[in-house]
Amino acid sequence: MTFKKRYLRLVHLLFIVLLLIQLLPDKLSGDTYAQYVVWFAVGVEILTLIVSSFIKKPIGLTLFVDIVSFIYGLLIAWTLATAKFNLLKPALFPPPGRVFWQLIGDYEKIITNIFSSVGIILQGYLLAAAAAIILGLLLGSSERLGNVATYISKFLGAIPPIVYIPYGIALLPTFRSVSVFVIFLATFWPVLAGTMSGVMNVDKKTIDSAKVLNVGKITMLFSVILPASLQQIFIGCNQGLTVSFVLLTSAEMIGAQSGLGYYIKNYSDLGDYTRTLVGLIVIGIVIVVISFVFNKIQKYLLRWKH
Amino acid sequence: MSKIEIRNLTVDYTEKKNRFTALKDVSFSIEDGEFVSVIGSSGCGKSTLLSILEGINTPTAGEILINGEPIRGTGTDRGVVFQHYSLFPWMTARKNVAFGIKQVNKDASRTERLKIADAFLEKVGLEGFKNKYPSQLSGGMQQRVAIARALAMDTDILLMDEPFGAIDAKNRTILQELLLELWEGDGTGARKTVVFVTHDIDEAILLSDKIVMMTANPGQVYSEIKVPFDRPRNRAELVQTQEYNQFRNKLLAMFYSDIVSKIGGNEVVL
Repeated sequence: MTFKKRYLRLVHLLFIVLLLIQLLPDKLSGDTYAQYVVWFAVGVEILTLIVSSFIKKPIGLTLFVDIVSFIYGLLIAWTLATAKFNLLKPALFPPPGRVFWQLIGDYEKIITNIFSSVGIILQGYLLAAAAAIILGLLLGSSERLGNVATYISKFLGAIPPIVYIPYGIALLPTFRSVSVFVIFLATFWPVLAGTMSGVMNVDKKTIDSAKVLNVGKITMLFSVILPASLQQIFIGCNQGLTVSFVLLTSAEMIGAQSGLGYYIKNYSDLGDYTRTLVGLIVIGIVIVVISFVFNKIQKYLLRWKH
Repeated sequence: MSKIEIRNLTVDYTEKKNRFTALKDVSFSIEDGEFVSVIGSSGCGKSTLLSILEGINTPTAGEILINGEPIRGTGTDRGVVFQHYSLFPWMTARKNVAFGIKQVNKDASRTERLKIADAFLEKVGLEGFKNKYPSQLSGGMQQRVAIARALAMDTDILLMDEPFGAIDAKNRTILQELLLELWEGDGTGARKTVVFVTHDIDEAILLSDKIVMMTANPGQVYSEIKVPFDRPRNRAELVQTQEYNQFRNKLLAMFYSDIVSKIGGNEVVL
């Protein structure tokens, strides 16, 4: 890539604009913590320059700077509409500097809440995925059992898992166990359905080539049928993961004393919309990171395709 | 006692209430260390016959004996190469071979298995591709891996179902010669018994000791022909001899007389 393609891009102009508008006088009363916006922007800009210098594919760089441009553009509009011209209700729309300041100030509380939420999700999700994959492999291997189990799991899976919450609360002692239970149900059915559909659609020729190698039952199940159905299993796992987040944050907004959903609900009840926004941003980041890791695992395990 | 004895084998399929006879009263035997090709036009039941030998299909009547014992399902005495899908796409070339070894030799350690796998991949000329997945290999390379696996499993019997049927002409020639070279060995060791299904007459002549020609509707043995050429065979020299061409023409005449007799009947094949 040429120097021009690497470094002469609109994104850097937006960065400078973002810095320059901080020099305008504030119309909003109180501290707007503009220095946090500047630090954040400088951090993002340094990252952008590093990526610009080392990335190999022009398409990848364009995508990256476009995303950064969007962030800069959003911050410019947000700063102008709040701190600089005071066009929006200050109580509902805090300036970006205040959100960053609050994010750093609440650092410990946020980490605790992330661990609480992610811990519940991992526990419910992993238990459900493991149980559903093993059960799906066993049920799918028998045509008769597989067919009936497919219909039953379709029925049970069609019930929105959120309706289990009141029942779960009556059934189980703690909020945590109710959450794990509901996430378990939300993940179990789609993963079971995906696994069984994968197992029942394994190419007969693949089974035959394993049979002529004289493989045992266990090897057939875990070394042949499992990898052959992996793509379908992942479809179920993806579905389960998406639903799990929706469920947990909803559940936390209903009855929890911790977690990211609780953080948002609690502070919006108190009218603290700066922290509400902090919570929204953190949830977005957590979900993006988990999805990223999940996609990496999926790509690695399916690396033999194409 | 013959190594493999096929006795009065009959296979009927029922498909949508239509009864269809794939094989009718097929009998012939194969000696230990013999290379036998089963040849015939499509629909003559040659692949059905092989699937029964493999143990993944069962006959309606009749039986197959190996070393005098009737076949019950698949067995570690038989290695198989299919036309497609022999390899597991999620395993690299060497893992595929090592997996095959593991099924017949439970005692070998992982390192030993990989070592044997590497040795056989080298024999088929794929030492540089052992960590590739099947999707990263050409069709010819995939069949080389499948052959390496079947040989590495070191079974008495090798069953090959049109293994080069989907390979382009040039690579098919190369693979036939490789197979011949590996099977003939240095002439001292015991040779494997091979049953090789094909529809290519030249392939059958070059490779086999005996050719079993089959006819379709229903699948029956038309004729068993000994191939009269000495080993080791050299394709380039062999195809230039008069004997080869006479033999080939005789086989072709048989092959087509079968089809012509079908045209003379109430069913037109061509």
